[in-house]
Amino acid sequence: MRCVWRVWGTRPMNIFLDIQQSVPGTFIRESPSILAYPTFLFLHTVGLGLLVGTGIAIDLRILGAGRETALKPMGKFFSLLMVGFWISAISGAALWMADAQTWAKDVVFYIKLGLIVLAMLSTRLIRHRVFQSSWSEGSLPAGSQALAVCSLILWTAAITAGRLTAYIGK
Amino acid sequence: MQFAVLDTFSKWVSHTRVSNAIIESPWIWPASETLHFIGLAMLLGTVALLDLRMLGFARSLDLRGLHRLTRWGIAGFVINTVTGGIFFVAAPFQYIHNVVFQLKLLAMLLAGINALVFEFRILPNMEDIGPGGDAPAAAKFTAAFSLVLWLCVMFFGRMLPFLGESF
Repeated sequence: MRCVWRVWGTRPMNIFLDIQQSVPGTFIRESPSILAYPTFLFLHTVGLGLLVGTGIAIDLRILGAGRETALKPMGKFFSLLMVGFWISAISGAALWMADAQTWAKDVVFYIKLGLIVLAMLSTRLIRHRVFQSSWSEGSLPAGSQALAVCSLILWTAAITAGRLTAYIGK
Repeated sequence: MQFAVLDTFSKWVSHTRVSNAIIESPWIWPASETLHFIGLAMLLGTVALLDLRMLGFARSLDLRGLHRLTRWGIAGFVINTVTGGIFFVAAPFQYIHNVVFQLKLLAMLLAGINALVFEFRILPNMEDIGPGGDAPAAAKFTAAFSLVLWLCVMFFGRMLPFLGESF
């Protein structure tokens, strides 16, 4: 990338450094205010709790926990799951901006993102196959439980990768 | 709050073999943190669903099943108590004089009392709440308290490194 820009005769470009040094990036990283970095970190945790927590609850219900509640109406909680997703995504983007240059080189961070994509895909499949298809209560569509187990594994792996970014990869 | 007895206790804890083993291990602390977040998701996920149902969200759900699911939230709480205990044993002086940590414990205590009041004083006197049913006002109060208090627990926990100088 750098070479291409040199050939074209402009300054070497490093978009990640530009983002990190932008006004919002610098503010989030360097402001001593509790409303900067710490607040985004808190929101990222709340988002994680709502996103993964709701996902886990839906998966556990598919696997048979809390049978007193019919499965189909549990689908209402996908909206809460998406609220958690967007809180995580927006606060995550803010935290990423603050250290964009560092994250760009972090292998574990990309693994985390990949796992989140896979976990969201499994969530989408569950919503589609289990909650938006017609079947009679008591006979789940084939593969529902396997999907729920995949989802549980993927969320656990995503959290693990996210936590490990603090220890390895940089 | 500075009590000599807490210092003595912390000093003893930090000199135990377990404490040293945790500090010297390259993986016990990171693994405990990971489990702490997984436990958090299990607790918040199941408890928030029950609380929101009582407050009137997703009324087509039978309350009993959601109440059953909170057993997994209790499992999450146990995971977090154990892993939290590991952090404390490893580095007691990070927490013992930390006001944010004390506030976190206070919020946990209140959330616990609130949950016990709901479980043993309010729930037994409630009729089964099936699809479409509305929870009584008392249950709605504990649901709202529960959501606020668990968010406080998470807030103080996350603020530990910023307001109280622990990691």
